[in-house]
Amino acid sequence: MKPRPHEPPSTTPRKAADATSDTTLDIRGLRVAFGDAAVVEGLDLTVRRGEILALVGESGSGKSVTARAAMGLLPPGARITGGSIALDGEDLVGLPPRRMDRIRGGRVAMLFQQPRAMLDPTATVRDQVAEPLWLHRGLSHREARRRVTGLLRDVGIPEPERRARSYAYQLSGGMAQRVMIAAALAGEPGLLIADEPTTALDVTVQAQILRLLKRRQRESGMSVLLITHDLGIVATTADRVAVMYAGRIVEDGPVAEIFDAPRHPYTQALLRASLLRTEADRLYTIPGSATRARELRRGCRFRPRCPVAEGMGVAHSCENEEPTLSSCGSGHRSRCWVRPSGAVGA
Amino acid sequence: MLRFALRRATVTLATLLVVSLLAFLIPYLSGGDPARAVLRSRVSDNALDPAAVEALKADLGLDRPLLAQYVSWLGRVIGGDFGLSFTSRGPVSELLGNALGVSVTLAVVALGTAVLIAVPLGTLAATRHGSRLDHGITLVTQGFVAIPEYWLAPVLVLVFSRHLGWLPSAGWETPASLILPALTLTLRPLAYVLRITRAAMIDVLAAPYITAARSRGLGSRATLLRHGLRNGLLPVLTLSSVWFAGLLGGSVVIEVLFNIPGMGQLVYRGVVNQDIPVIQGGLLCVVALAIAISTLADLLGELINPTARVRHDAH
Repeated sequence: MKPRPHEPPSTTPRKAADATSDTTLDIRGLRVAFGDAAVVEGLDLTVRRGEILALVGESGSGKSVTARAAMGLLPPGARITGGSIALDGEDLVGLPPRRMDRIRGGRVAMLFQQPRAMLDPTATVRDQVAEPLWLHRGLSHREARRRVTGLLRDVGIPEPERRARSYAYQLSGGMAQRVMIAAALAGEPGLLIADEPTTALDVTVQAQILRLLKRRQRESGMSVLLITHDLGIVATTADRVAVMYAGRIVEDGPVAEIFDAPRHPYTQALLRASLLRTEADRLYTIPGSATRARELRRGCRFRPRCPVAEGMGVAHSCENEEPTLSSCGSGHRSRCWVRPSGAVGA
Repeated sequence: MLRFALRRATVTLATLLVVSLLAFLIPYLSGGDPARAVLRSRVSDNALDPAAVEALKADLGLDRPLLAQYVSWLGRVIGGDFGLSFTSRGPVSELLGNALGVSVTLAVVALGTAVLIAVPLGTLAATRHGSRLDHGITLVTQGFVAIPEYWLAPVLVLVFSRHLGWLPSAGWETPASLILPALTLTLRPLAYVLRITRAAMIDVLAAPYITAARSRGLGSRATLLRHGLRNGLLPVLTLSSVWFAGLLGGSVVIEVLFNIPGMGQLVYRGVVNQDIPVIQGGLLCVVALAIAISTLADLLGELINPTARVRHDAH
């Protein structure tokens, strides 16, 4: 493990939950690598208590890897090689496996993209939804299983008693995701990481699931890290948004502000390429293909595809030095050499 | 589930009927005249009296058309009567019962040992997939597959009976006589069951629902026990049932080498003596059992994995 300069030298071993702080998840300088190739590098991300933060970006930008890193469930071959992931003030990086098992499902839970594949085909809904109850909330297996019906009702599953006895193959995708939500919320986590939870679902079901998530989030006051590539979902669901490109955050801020006045050329391009903006007859496409985090050693990662870097006086900087994520308004940050006073803007 | 069971039962019955016809006919394919063989075994004189041969044929019902013989044989078999052995003149059903008891014991011990070792070891190899331990386990069991039983049996006898004198070299008198034949028979199924366990568990452990289970806070071992094994066990069950059926039929080589009075020995002697009722009864019995076991394993699989049920219902 590399030294983490931002962290004050601690005399005591990791401190447990600092529940009074207004930050639930605080990722600093995170680096995740497959072998020597970093897919996430220098990632800073903060989820505040009780907010829904959307993490957006193209596939391959490192969104899911970031989520997996926060869960301590990286795929084989991937490793955290730097940085910290603080959950309620406690760094999860390098925690002993047993300690991490107690955090997973209890303090941080996760939703996935393919809900049906996430359910054990040989186990009933009840078996699986009950697990967090006896794992984290001190209930007996029997009591835990009894409470499943109520949890299923809370996520809007009709005939919960019958559904509790169902197997994955008997559920639709939307129903399976509701089950996954019930299981995720069963441990009453302070943070829910939802990795493209509606991507695999029908559009009408998508809206239902998102409404359900938002309702349950308001009721419980938990924080949500919502990973998506769908800006429509961001607009309707999230409070803040962080835009990821090639393993880094390039812009973050309140949803309304970023949609109104995106600062980073990538965010601007992303918005133009989405169906939200209807002024163009043709859908805009970003030239080139997504830069991989490992491809560039110097300069801005978006530079090869950036429409702004060309012709600007800052092109030399773009080429040689990576800009920092710096403030450009209240709670709004952008990683671009072109500053707010510059000619860039919507 | 019920529809599946019914359809399965129909298929099984039809298969049994075909098998019974084959079991009935196969002894006749060997050529030779059973009546002569029987007489030769009873009379020391090599020159047989043709009249005595004809009389015996009539006595055994061998002079009637084959189809008539089959129908009356089948009728009796359904009632549990496999006829009388040409050589011992005792009821074949009794011989079958005794031999089957021996073979079942041997098969259960050999396969039970194999599965009890192979499943945990294969799972361990899968969880340490690609490690030195995994390679070691794979290499050793690879060796088991390559060892022929007719070579292993005498070697074990040499070591444990001749030199060490720990175990009997043959026979079926004490529980200790079971050890060497069971050990001989256990290695190959052990290797195969281990390989399929390992492969199945590697697949299962990479499955999305395993990650999801971990995300709810189950530790890696609890996840393996609650969500891994049940999913990985289906191919293990199928393969084990095939091996079980095979072992029940008796390993002729092993039963003859160790002088064990099991099915293999019985049918082998039947063939040598041209004892037609014994061959017919033995064949039918072994195949019927094999079918029964694989049906049972399939039904058990349906219980374990409801997804398999859907696939059947869809057809």
